[in-house]
Amino acid sequence: MLSSIGNFLLLLSTILSLIVIYTSFKNLNEKGNLISKNLFTICSLQCTFIIVSFFTLVFAFIISDFSLVTVYQNSHTAKPIFYKISGTWGNHEGSLMLWLIILTIFSFLFLVSSKNKKKEFRIYTLIIQNLLIICFLVFLLFNSNPFGIVTPVPKEGLGLNPILQDPALAIHPPLLYLGFVGSSIYFSAAIASLLTNYSGKLFVNAIKKWVLLSWSFQTIGILAGSIWAYYELGWGGFWFWDPVENASLFPWFSMTALLHSLIVLEKRDKLYFWVIILCIITFTSSVAGTFLVRSGVLNSVHTFANDPSRGIYILSFLSIMIFGSAILLLKKIKSNNFVFNTNSKETFILVNNWFMIFYLITIFLGTVYPIFTEVLSDHKISVGPPFYNTVIIPVVVFFLIFMSIGPQARWIKNRFDNFKQIVSILICSLLINFCIFYFFKSYSVLSNLIIISSSFLIISSFNDAIKSIKKNNFNISRIISHSAFGFLILFIGLNHNFSIEEEFNLKIGQIQKFENYNIRFTNLNLEDHENYKAIIGEFKVNNLDKNFVQILKPEIRIYEKPSTLTYEASIRSNILEDYYVTMSNIDRSDYYNIKFQKKPFMIWIWISVILISLGGFLRLFRHENKIY
Amino acid sequence: MNKIKFIISIIFFLFVASNILAASINKNELFKNIRCLVCQGQSIADSNSDFARTVKLVINDQIKDGKTEKEIYKFLVEKYGEWIVYNPPLNKYNFILWFFPYFILIIGGFLIYILSKKKDSA
Repeated sequence: MLSSIGNFLLLLSTILSLIVIYTSFKNLNEKGNLISKNLFTICSLQCTFIIVSFFTLVFAFIISDFSLVTVYQNSHTAKPIFYKISGTWGNHEGSLMLWLIILTIFSFLFLVSSKNKKKEFRIYTLIIQNLLIICFLVFLLFNSNPFGIVTPVPKEGLGLNPILQDPALAIHPPLLYLGFVGSSIYFSAAIASLLTNYSGKLFVNAIKKWVLLSWSFQTIGILAGSIWAYYELGWGGFWFWDPVENASLFPWFSMTALLHSLIVLEKRDKLYFWVIILCIITFTSSVAGTFLVRSGVLNSVHTFANDPSRGIYILSFLSIMIFGSAILLLKKIKSNNFVFNTNSKETFILVNNWFMIFYLITIFLGTVYPIFTEVLSDHKISVGPPFYNTVIIPVVVFFLIFMSIGPQARWIKNRFDNFKQIVSILICSLLINFCIFYFFKSYSVLSNLIIISSSFLIISSFNDAIKSIKKNNFNISRIISHSAFGFLILFIGLNHNFSIEEEFNLKIGQIQKFENYNIRFTNLNLEDHENYKAIIGEFKVNNLDKNFVQILKPEIRIYEKPSTLTYEASIRSNILEDYYVTMSNIDRSDYYNIKFQKKPFMIWIWISVILISLGGFLRLFRHENKIY
Repeated sequence: MNKIKFIISIIFFLFVASNILAASINKNELFKNIRCLVCQGQSIADSNSDFARTVKLVINDQIKDGKTEKEIYKFLVEKYGEWIVYNPPLNKYNFILWFFPYFILIIGGFLIYILSKKKDSA
């Protein structure tokens, strides 16, 4: 029943998309500067249908309608209602459905919100959006149908992977997809802009909100995934350079580059084609990320799909998109003569783009390189944290320094009349680093440089803030995002260098001592829960310096459906540091393997990222106000 | 001029002072760089599997025997192949991986240099 409703609605939406394209072309040939009312009606109808079909799927998950394959494979009656709902997008088919609903709603919103733009530009954007919608609908209907049925109807579902049953992971995909899919708007707009010669400042006005919106959501989405990895995987880290994590970074880097070069296009009417290229890169890298995750070509913790036909579909979709836009771009590109002054804000923004592209290419290469070596030479390699750390971190030092000086540079021609200031800020940051190093702990040369350069950025941003308040052109979003980025790098650096990690085996009643800590394994309990059994250990962690006792209770959870064992970390967070304990059983013995970690400044890492994206949201708000 | 010399010497002093102490082998870092072959994208530091435990024991023994980090990696690669280390060794297969990013960095810098021709008189 639900299956036929869903399928019918999806089919209807496909037809409506075709009608939208047809009506759009008809509308293009008509005179007048208004988009016909029909088009609005059809679009809102299409939007409604997709929303209803999405909620049909959600409803099927809520009532546990196991006649649907997706529900049967990914849900279970004993699951809490919250995870039944979030389970909707916790699988391949459902997550594509989520992608589709956001894509459709965004297209509609673009149509409605772009009233004062040129008609041809709006209509072409709409046409391209609908081509994308059709591609996704066809993929959903013929390859990954969320409404596929299973007969006879099973009595019980297979259940959702327990590590995915988590609040952070429930909101992670929607946030991330707002970023991914938001980029589709400026991809379509870029193509439409090339087709209709709607360029320069007008083009910036049309897409700026969308870039800010998608960038801010993407940032928060990556954070949610990272927080999930931190407390759910039980490894104590928050970033593993896992292929799937990397996939979420590709569009983030090109979005960040785009965000900055848009300013040049807006203020100086330069870099138009570069902006177009970045628009295209952002969306194609979003789709490429989806391809890498969904096709199962990558070996990763997160990959829950493994079906080559999906990969081939997405890959051909991707190639058509890239080739199509490349040909169009080559046809339209003119060598416009942009000569910048070496010392000017324009150049500093280009430097930002330069580094962003470097990060993007490095991470992309690291992610796909193992696939190539395996296919071409049957040589299996792993590219992991050491590679990224070696290649990227030294470059980050220079990046941070440019990022500190850049924002205060002037357009067209800059002078370093604040040279003294820069030197005194540099000395301040060296002093900060020296104090940390001298009073607390020694660390490597590279860590020194990271801490110096991030302090440099933070102090420069504050200096920037004070100056701009005096000049009365206070750009709050830039200052928040830039200084928060400095704090992010600083706290990651400190966290990396001041973490304590100890692993040992203990029986109940035993004590382990190391450095200034004393850990006692006091108790072990068994508990029954709605959908799992738990073995809960109790540990007293005593900080001998401060005479401060904390009780941590890590768990081993035994899930029945599907039958899995998960290790739940116990985390005590406070302003300065996190205590993190995990425990695992050792076969045929009373001993448990305990892993204790002290992670300084974890909360501040999260807060920094929230502030970075807050900068984006604030800017969006200010931008809205300016339009009147 | 003296002022500048003074500033430079302060900078130099602060930096050198921060770098006198050298670091020893960090076992946790080492474990994080080794893939658990029976797991899905986990390092042996993060895994509870028997395989991870065994490899950790072997490495602990080797550290006790006074082997260097390089020797331990070499031993593991010879035994299990390059798949086991997260740090791909620099050889003819991985040459592009290690050098292409820097190539892009240099090209990018060069492009910006050309685009931003000096126009001091302007």
